[in-house]
Amino acid sequence: MFKDKPIKILLAKPGIDGHDRGILVLAKAFRDAGMEVIYVGLLPTPEEVVDTAINEDVDVVALSLLNGAHMTVFKKVADLMKEKGVKDIAVVGGGTIPDADKPKLEKLGISGNYGPGTPIAEIIKHITERAAEIRKLKATGE
Amino acid sequence: MKVLKIEEIVRGILDGDRRAVSRGISVIENDYDSTVARRIIKEIFPSTGRAHIVGITGPPGIGKSTMIGNLSAMLSKKGFRVSVVAVDASSPFSGGSLLGNRIRMQESLSKYGVYMRSLANRGMNGGLSRSVWDAVKILDASGSDYIIVETVGAGQADLDIVNLAETVIVVLGPGLGDEIQAIKAGIMEIGHVFVINKMDRQGAFIAMKDIEETLAMSPSGEWKPPVVGVNSLTGEGYETFIEKIQEHGNFVKNHSGSILRKFRTELQMTIIQELRRKFESDISLFLGDNAVIERLIREKVDPYSAAEKLVKKIT
Ligand SMILES: Nc1nc2c(ncn2[C@@H]2O[C@H](COP(=O)(O)OP(=O)(O)OP(=O)(O)O)[C@@H](O)[C@H]2O)c(=O)[nH]1
Ligand SMILES: [Mg+2]
Repeated sequence: MFKDKPIKILLAKPGIDGHDRGILVLAKAFRDAGMEVIYVGLLPTPEEVVDTAINEDVDVVALSLLNGAHMTVFKKVADLMKEKGVKDIAVVGGGTIPDADKPKLEKLGISGNYGPGTPIAEIIKHITERAAEIRKLKATGE
Repeated sequence: MKVLKIEEIVRGILDGDRRAVSRGISVIENDYDSTVARRIIKEIFPSTGRAHIVGITGPPGIGKSTMIGNLSAMLSKKGFRVSVVAVDASSPFSGGSLLGNRIRMQESLSKYGVYMRSLANRGMNGGLSRSVWDAVKILDASGSDYIIVETVGAGQADLDIVNLAETVIVVLGPGLGDEIQAIKAGIMEIGHVFVINKMDRQGAFIAMKDIEETLAMSPSGEWKPPVVGVNSLTGEGYETFIEKIQEHGNFVKNHSGSILRKFRTELQMTIIQELRRKFESDISLFLGDNAVIERLIREKVDPYSAAEKLVKKIT
């Protein structure tokens, strides 16, 4: 099951980070790539991000932050997922993330971590790959 | 969500577990009509029938999602368990969709812990997509008191909501211009409660009067649809609005006609679906056989005769 159905993705900017134009552009690009995109504007807390991801049963959560708080906020999201035993939702990151932080985020299971100016096609390709892994995982639950 | 097995999904739904509810709806959505999806519905069905299903329909941008945010907050405060399903249109080009209803209700949802699920209609032509019916059953079996369904806001799906919901709310408002006539032609017959939203805006009272007059001229049954004015930014008018919803809920409970009609409609859809399923492979086998098709063309067999013969053979 779940093989060729549209990828469902939650786009979230946890924390109070005013810029959300960039994320709207992404939301539309993802839709045009055939994804079902939930864009919730600013989701203030990591708890809300995780609850929404669970309730909507998305394949991927895409987190974006431009304020430098990624190490705390992204980590909180990853921790909450773990705490709730959520294994079949992929988390990808983006924003202004220094190279030095990327391996740390990867270790938390947060992949991608693209900076501003990354070609959207590259991001979409990465998301598609992560979603495929997740779908496979879900299918084995059958 | 560690990978859930079907028994866990069923048990979880009945226990009101969010992750099981979520995954159950995904199974329905992504693998509709599969054996697994059917099994889930068959097993939870005895626990359905408790929730009051409220459909919200009306033109795009009229305030349906904002309204659902308010309704779910107020109903939660009164101690009811509320769940929401909101349907958005899929893009006919990419198949993707921007599921934008949640953003308008997020605040209430998280404040009151209301379960909300966004569904794309995935190009379902005509009518609410079938998976919405089963998603609602899952939410019903999971212990919801109210299930609020937002339609896409255009076309056949909006009329179809009457087959799914016990109470259909038609939302209208000022500023619809001449369009209002066309909209009214489609949805005046299906509403149980009419709401004029954006009462803060100019023209709201005229819109309200217009709807009242139209309703006064239309034949109605035992239930006379009320017209309520609300302002969704301040919450004005919502106490009356909720009373009307509850009044209609009680009316339906005491009038078995609507329950019979709903079940009959769903059964009819399901029978047709089951027939199609049963004969699908025979039909495509037949259609896929070039030699047969070429012969029919050569011998100038009309489509009626050819179809009648095939149906006789496979039934
Ligand atoms: N002035 C005023 N604006 C309102 C009111 N209710 C909703 N709005 C605004 O109307 C706009 C559309 O609201 P939505 O709730 O998204 O409307 P909708 O019917 O769900 O829209 P679609 O799902 O896109 O069809 C938003 O900007 C709301 O803030 C109201 O009572 N008064
Ligand atoms: Mg809406």
